[in-house]
Amino acid sequence: MNAEPWLALLAGELRRQGLADPQVATVVADVRAHLRDSAEDPYRAFGAPERYAAAVAESLRGPASHARPVGPVRLQADGITKRYGRRQVLRDVNLTVRAGQIAAVVGANGCGKSTLLNICAGLISPDAGTVTVHGTLSHSPQDGGTAPYLLPDEHFALVGAGKGLTRDRSRTAGRARAGELGWQDVGATLAGQLSGGTRQKLNLVMSTLTEPDVLLLDEPYQGFDRGAYVNLWQQLWRLRDDGKAIVVVTHMLNELDQVDIVLDLTEANS
Amino acid sequence: MKRLLTVAEMTLRELARRRGVIALLLLLPLAFYLIRRDQYIGQSIRSLFIGIGWAVSTAALFSTIGARSIEPRLRLAGYRAHDLYLGRLVGLWTLGVLLAAPFLLLVSLDTTGLRYGAISLAMLCCVVIAAPLGMLVGYLLPREMEGTLLLLTAVALQMIIDPATTIAKVTPFWSSREIGTYAVDNMGTDYLVRGSVHGIAATLVMLALVAVVSSARLRRRPHLRQV
Repeated sequence: MNAEPWLALLAGELRRQGLADPQVATVVADVRAHLRDSAEDPYRAFGAPERYAAAVAESLRGPASHARPVGPVRLQADGITKRYGRRQVLRDVNLTVRAGQIAAVVGANGCGKSTLLNICAGLISPDAGTVTVHGTLSHSPQDGGTAPYLLPDEHFALVGAGKGLTRDRSRTAGRARAGELGWQDVGATLAGQLSGGTRQKLNLVMSTLTEPDVLLLDEPYQGFDRGAYVNLWQQLWRLRDDGKAIVVVTHMLNELDQVDIVLDLTEANS
Repeated sequence: MKRLLTVAEMTLRELARRRGVIALLLLLPLAFYLIRRDQYIGQSIRSLFIGIGWAVSTAALFSTIGARSIEPRLRLAGYRAHDLYLGRLVGLWTLGVLLAAPFLLLVSLDTTGLRYGAISLAMLCCVVIAAPLGMLVGYLLPREMEGTLLLLTAVALQMIIDPATTIAKVTPFWSSREIGTYAVDNMGTDYLVRGSVHGIAATLVMLALVAVVSSARLRRRPHLRQV
């Protein structure tokens, strides 16, 4: 049978996983040879191309990715306690994130993940506890955070102006970040008319545009397709390698082995 | 200044894209003007002022509520609170002047023998006061429906209240009524002076309230220490 369509999908997924072109060519050539010799159906032999690509990329990255040097403390939350009426949402929660680290905040619905992030961003006050941020801070909220009647480029200009960037520089940087998330056609669609996933990409680009030292992301992948989800994590790893401290609220437990710190608020509050 | 002007520009861009809303906002002052046009022109013009005030304050309300979720992140991105509320105000004032201009043209073509400079001043008072009034309501009430109803109540009160009473003098658009009386009824300059003083005072009070409420909303919380 013709395995070329499957191999083309595999090549695309391998590139999306961040493999260089020579590595992609080598892997695809090996797989093609195997399929030719065995005459097997590629889906039967290797499964879905995206899953096989993820497995190959993981094996090529190896354990080295888990042992990286980290920098100074960027975010330190001490003894954060918060009640809404009679309901205790956070009880004496502590979190320290250093430059070059990703912290995942996980837990059941309503356990206070977003509340903790909003407290770290200074948007709401805790009943007790302090947050110290060394450097600049950016926050990507779970809902909203964009202006429905503005274009993506206008969002970039608006955020960039806060740091004194020119309009051209903001647009160039914004579009480059969007491209890293697989969002190429940043055009004349108002933010309110973007799909949920694309609006979330806009949200994310706005957060990273000004190169903050600490990045707070509240479920940044909502509405993402699988490719965009992979791109998101690759971008987060790149930012981590650039020395950013990242806190991400997530339900996607399958990525927890790729983060440096896991804060389970269900356990922390129990 | 660049930050402030960027916010002003984006405010104008956003509102300009809500064409349906703008058209409906223009409808109310026009209806206010036309409904008594065949009777007494003074009442018709004073109603027009109130209508312009309502249109601009409602546009300000929509703009402010629409920005509630983006302003905190802009604050983190380097904007100061006054960049945000002053920038929005500049945008809204510009829009207000653009909204009021066709009505000034309408009145000047439709009437004769009035003091048109004073009519312009009364319209300017409405625009200048209405923008921070709508913003203030938008900061205090998180939903458009509640805010719109409150502004309608304020406008209705303004229309039915006896302008000679003390309570009328604390309503936001009393200045336009006084200046309007000077412009239309050929009254003495005391109306003009009284109206102008009230307009300046009302604007300053509204600006102070917007500054206080906006700065409180976007304040740096004491638990967060950024070093």
